[in-house]
Amino acid sequence: MIVPALLAGCSVGGAAPEAGLGSAGGSAAGPTEMATCPAQPVPPTPLRRLTRFEYQNAAADLLHVDASAAQELPADEITSSFDNNAGVLTVSALHAEKYVLVSEALAKRAVQNVAELTGCAADEACAVNFARRFGRRAFRRPLSAADEQALLTAYRAGATGGTHAEGIEVMIRAALQSPHFLYRLELTSPTDTRAQVLLSQFELATRLSFSIWGSGPDDALLDAAERGELASKSQVAARARAMLAEPRGRAAVTHFFEQWSGTRRLATTSKSSTAFPGFTPALRDAMAAELPALVEHVLWSGDRSVRALLTTPSVFVNAASADVYGVAGPAGSAPGLVLAQPPVEHGRSGLLTLAGFLAVQGHPDQTSPVLRGKFVRAMLMCEPPAPPPPDVDISLPELQEGATARDRLAAHQAAGASCSGCHALMDPIGLAFESFDAIGRYRDAENGQPLDTSGEIMGAGEAALSGRFGNVRELGEKLAASAQVRACLASQWFRFAAGRGEVEGDACSLEAMKRAFEASEGDVVELIVASTQTDAFWFRSPYRP
Amino acid sequence: MSYLTRRNLLRGGLAATAALPLLDARRAVGQDAAPTRLVVFATPNGTRNDLFWPTGSETSFQLNQLTAPLEPHKSKLTFLKGIRLNDSLQNGALGGTLGSEHARGTGGMLTARPLNAGREFQSFGNTTSGWGSGQSIDQYLAEQLAPPTTFKSLQLGVHVRDTEVRARISYSASNQPIPPREDPKDVFSALFGAAAPGGDTDAELERLWAQRKSVFDLTRAEMNRIQQLVGAEDRARLDAHLTAMRDVEQRLVKVSGMPGLEPTASCSPPSLTEVDLSVDDQYEQAGRLQMDLAAAALACDQTRILTLQWSYAESEHLFQFLGHSGNHHVISHDFSPSGTNFEAYNAIQTWYAEQLAYFLSKLDGYQEGDRTLLDNTLVLWATEIGESTQHDLTLMPYVLAGSAGGKIAAGRLLDFSQNRRDNNQLLVSLAHALGADDLQSFGDESGASGPLPGLV
Repeated sequence: MIVPALLAGCSVGGAAPEAGLGSAGGSAAGPTEMATCPAQPVPPTPLRRLTRFEYQNAAADLLHVDASAAQELPADEITSSFDNNAGVLTVSALHAEKYVLVSEALAKRAVQNVAELTGCAADEACAVNFARRFGRRAFRRPLSAADEQALLTAYRAGATGGTHAEGIEVMIRAALQSPHFLYRLELTSPTDTRAQVLLSQFELATRLSFSIWGSGPDDALLDAAERGELASKSQVAARARAMLAEPRGRAAVTHFFEQWSGTRRLATTSKSSTAFPGFTPALRDAMAAELPALVEHVLWSGDRSVRALLTTPSVFVNAASADVYGVAGPAGSAPGLVLAQPPVEHGRSGLLTLAGFLAVQGHPDQTSPVLRGKFVRAMLMCEPPAPPPPDVDISLPELQEGATARDRLAAHQAAGASCSGCHALMDPIGLAFESFDAIGRYRDAENGQPLDTSGEIMGAGEAALSGRFGNVRELGEKLAASAQVRACLASQWFRFAAGRGEVEGDACSLEAMKRAFEASEGDVVELIVASTQTDAFWFRSPYRP
Repeated sequence: MSYLTRRNLLRGGLAATAALPLLDARRAVGQDAAPTRLVVFATPNGTRNDLFWPTGSETSFQLNQLTAPLEPHKSKLTFLKGIRLNDSLQNGALGGTLGSEHARGTGGMLTARPLNAGREFQSFGNTTSGWGSGQSIDQYLAEQLAPPTTFKSLQLGVHVRDTEVRARISYSASNQPIPPREDPKDVFSALFGAAAPGGDTDAELERLWAQRKSVFDLTRAEMNRIQQLVGAEDRARLDAHLTAMRDVEQRLVKVSGMPGLEPTASCSPPSLTEVDLSVDDQYEQAGRLQMDLAAAALACDQTRILTLQWSYAESEHLFQFLGHSGNHHVISHDFSPSGTNFEAYNAIQTWYAEQLAYFLSKLDGYQEGDRTLLDNTLVLWATEIGESTQHDLTLMPYVLAGSAGGKIAAGRLLDFSQNRRDNNQLLVSLAHALGADDLQSFGDESGASGPLPGLV
């Protein structure tokens, strides 16, 4: 948790220093002037291996081919909702095997038109030239002579006794298996023992591109680093804004929201075919496309605000999902989603009522007011309730004719006083969602009983956030107006961008992000830009022997 | 089996066991003992004690309802009653406070260690937790015994899907969970090589191996160099990567001039059928394929250490194919001693026993000298909690099958209920059965050292 005392002496939110770095792409002579809190050591920053998502994006950008072969890599371990926690992303034998096989599949694809790929004649001079250009993007920095030699050694393993194309193919395999591709190495100042090690501009470019594009830097970004144009915070902020405006900017940001909301789990979500016969593969695909559509709608076509994310009454449907929302679907079976306005009385409220969200925050056979309430509590309010004590029957009493989930939860709570404390934090929130079933379809009754969709937030850290509301829509408005929710979202972005959980030493960085987010009234783009201005972004911890 | 060409075998894992037919021949005339294997068969959501444990004496007992499908294998089973998870893994009052019982029971199943402290998993803990805190026994044995097999160990999963702490039983080290292979097509490729890219002639294959070796050499050299630059923790991370590379290099890089390999009767790939891994109703089909592949991997001596994990701890898998509509986890926590959920839970647990019975039959069908593959194997059937309604961790429903080549006198019900043993001791016993005789203790110090008395 963040200890306010740690902030003493910190000039949070002050004017960004404009001191330039030393040599282009190199580290600074005097890094401390770049720090917001120069006295605060940078918490340990573990080496980050690319996630499967990042690998696939980076390979596709690097080779200009469909890189879906990367899906052969094992799925990444999920920690605190995110798949990029560096602490647990190690390389097992399965990874090592797939790194070989996937690189071979991708390289084979890439050299199908080798002349187009390399843009030069089929000889070793071309290989050298290609190694420099391609290697720079693969390793996210200019190559050393040794790097170049290594790639040429690989080239010769293919070209000698083979063809130029085969040589390029082996060179690509070698690059994709290299630690310089698979890890985000930050090796510019290995012997710097200061508590804050300033990153080189190439390393900053790499952090920027993975947090905004979910991929490695392109030539333009590397050129900027090489020219020394990522030397000041304002330069990096401007670059971040420009990168977010590009189509690629949607990928990583959407990926963040998919993990945060849990909708990434749709691909492996099952629903009972007796309870929900309508949960077809086509509907599941439509659900999976909803969050990207919402993010697009709010962040790239709208006002970029958390408020809109949590309250927009519009939905996104295709022919497979229109019925769930009670709207007329588009003609035809095109998978793309179109904007639609569901009946106002359904009270749709942005992300909170996306069918895909409601489906993953539930059970295969029934809704879960508990899970939905827990999501609001843990992921929007950052106040995770304590889980159930042992020796507790956590199944809801059997469904009786005429009973609603509210009745069942009440019975459940009455049965065990030990549960009621924590459930009081979740259930009265989750019950508001009962107007939507476990695949997100609107309903006004359960088992013939009219639904009471009122609810209450109890004991919120921010006093104003506590209180009653009439339905999910009002809940959405309440959350959208909350500083606590904005602060929570800022911490979630921090975890995602830093690839680790926040610790006390991050207070300075987190506070700066929260202030910027507040000042912009919850503008998500401003939050992301603010994250690129923090000490956590500009520095790493020193290497300890 | 059109996949099974000599080239495909050479391309894949079997290439490294080209001497196998010879080995088989030696075994047939009793010149070479068959290897001993370990299999962990993990199923989720505990059990129901009064329907699980056999009744009777150590050597004369009757199977109970939930294990009835194992009747044909009864003489090769060993029920281990009265094993508890050690204090560090127990419920709060007994010392274990990190993570939910489901998560703790999963992370501690083969490590006998608590989860790491941390705030990473807040949703499923009595408090919170991080990932597993140490090496699991399967990985310890793979390292210690270093079997000369293509795969030092093999992790298979059936509909595991989840990638959180509750879905990982195997660890190389603290914070290093090992993901299982869940796609039978992928397992088939790894074992029998059909899908690995490569040329169509032996010369092209040899070229591919040589190229792979060049790339391995380059990567290794560079990783070694980088290790000198970074800090201790990152160095350890890169060490794990280098170890993983060594593991796979021997099967992805072959040497030229290798003798040809023809499939033998005791070692042939199973046939693959199409399954949709996203459909809960195809659980049994997916499981069959993985079990067939697991049996083939053991029979072909591709690996001697294997885990087969069904779903994830706390699983919400659906069993509509058994005629039940609820999800497994919710069903498992219904206290009612009768009714829909009671019947459903019993049906699901019995179904898991049927799957184990199928697997044991498969292993028992491979003759190895005067024993069967099952006899030469030790299969541990484990789950993350005991009595499911209670999240109990003091009476774990462990069953062994096979005898590790005669190291274990099977067909017994060992009852430690009056003097509970810690799961550490079970893991030590597994190691002894597999030949790691020197191991004295394994896992967290709160658990007792030494093996289970009277087992090995």
